[in-house]
Amino acid sequence: MKLRIDEYSNLDSPFHRWDARHKLIGLMALIFAFSFVRDLRMLLAMVVVTVIIYIISKLPVSFLLRRLRYPSFFLLAVVLTLPFLSGQTIIMSIGSLDLRQEGLLAALLIATRFLSILTIGLVLFSTTPFLTNIKAMRALGLPAIMADMALLAFRYLQEIGQDLQRMQTSMRLRGLRKRRLSIRGLRILAWLSGSILVRSYEQSEWVYKAMILRGYGHAPHPRGEFHTHSRDVIALCVILTIAAGFIGGDILLGHGSAALLQ
Amino acid sequence: MLSQELGEPVLTVSGLWFSYPDRPNVLKDISLKVMPGERVGLIGPNGAGKTTLFLGLCGVLKPSTGEIVVLGKPVVNGDFRPEVALVFQNPDDQLFCPSVWDDVAFGPQNTGLSKDEVEARVKKALSIVAGSELADRPVHHLSEGEKRIISIAGVLAMRPQLVIYDEPSANLDIRSRRRLIRLLQASKETILVASHDLELVLEVCNRVVLMDKGSIIADGNPREVMGDDRLMEAHGQEKPHSLVPHQIPHRHSK
Repeated sequence: MKLRIDEYSNLDSPFHRWDARHKLIGLMALIFAFSFVRDLRMLLAMVVVTVIIYIISKLPVSFLLRRLRYPSFFLLAVVLTLPFLSGQTIIMSIGSLDLRQEGLLAALLIATRFLSILTIGLVLFSTTPFLTNIKAMRALGLPAIMADMALLAFRYLQEIGQDLQRMQTSMRLRGLRKRRLSIRGLRILAWLSGSILVRSYEQSEWVYKAMILRGYGHAPHPRGEFHTHSRDVIALCVILTIAAGFIGGDILLGHGSAALLQ
Repeated sequence: MLSQELGEPVLTVSGLWFSYPDRPNVLKDISLKVMPGERVGLIGPNGAGKTTLFLGLCGVLKPSTGEIVVLGKPVVNGDFRPEVALVFQNPDDQLFCPSVWDDVAFGPQNTGLSKDEVEARVKKALSIVAGSELADRPVHHLSEGEKRIISIAGVLAMRPQLVIYDEPSANLDIRSRRRLIRLLQASKETILVASHDLELVLEVCNRVVLMDKGSIIADGNPREVMGDDRLMEAHGQEKPHSLVPHQIPHRHSK
């Protein structure tokens, strides 16, 4: 199992060159601004900004589509149910199902916000190595223990994935075949999960001993070395202005469409 | 340092007993002295208590009774003693940072050194193990041999005076093993090496301690201890191949 969130972090684009701390602040602010939007008239601007940012980041479209695959199942559930369950104004009937205007608009808002936020999040975490992002969070004040937990999780998820693969190979070599859901299959899955958990726990004890022996917790860990250039600050100001524009625009427009959704 | 200058032991273990909650007397009355510059090999079957002893020497485990003194100071459970270093049997337990550089720098950073001092220590440690070209590599991309040498670099970066190696040649191929032997032979620290690789112990160590069932059975010259057939077989060992008189001489190609 390989964590591939930062597989394109070695490309060259303005977002790749942007200082990690400023990028974190700027794009998180933009994500927050997107989540604040409730006026449907802001959706087009949201989509345009998201597309422009993605194009500038030079990340492949196939990468975005791969990453959207599983979250899309959740979105599909919302899009398929909300228009039929939420609201009063019926705009169409399909058999016994009534398509409602409020539900449709709500689904549109949720889907657009969801996809835009996810895309911006991908740009944030895929244009910087994961390790650098953790260090940037630490530099911005993330508690050391949380940063360390994230780093250890990143490091040892690879190990757990390899352990799991080896165990599955061993099971196949001893005749286990994929079957339909069965009591035996569930039992085997439970054994596998339990083994992984126990191994991980035992390894975590050894890792902790190794950390203590090299002085973990003994002295404050130094913050990462980051250097700010004027272009980093300018980019941050631009993104923050855009984020403020979305929030301000949504307030000024008075949540017009939001009233319809209530 | 002072204890070494005066010729005092680097390590003194006196009357050490240790039990786990579910296993009593894993260590029984262990007494041992290690002088500066000694290379001590610790041999014995699985379950003899070697790893438990090592964890006690580092202060990770608290003995039931007995005393451990390292460089003139008693070892207190939980204390951080950078002058004592342990290289774990499984390098994946020890290489917990995502990149090689970060992992080797981990220890020096915890001693409050400046950025420049840390950098110098990391570079020096990596050059000692001939691993400088691995500095930017993610740890999970390393081979077993590379993980081993980087785990050694990670402890050497702390400039220990006593280095303990727990099965350092486990899972290494021939080339990596030879590289490890050369590294151990060239090391300036006092070392303790637990290993089932008796040939490595013969090549590296000038003293060997045989343990079995929690006790020290023999302590002395490697060739004498490991050359004693009856002693070795009685405690689950075999005489190393190089100490076995050859009926048919080796033929070396010219």
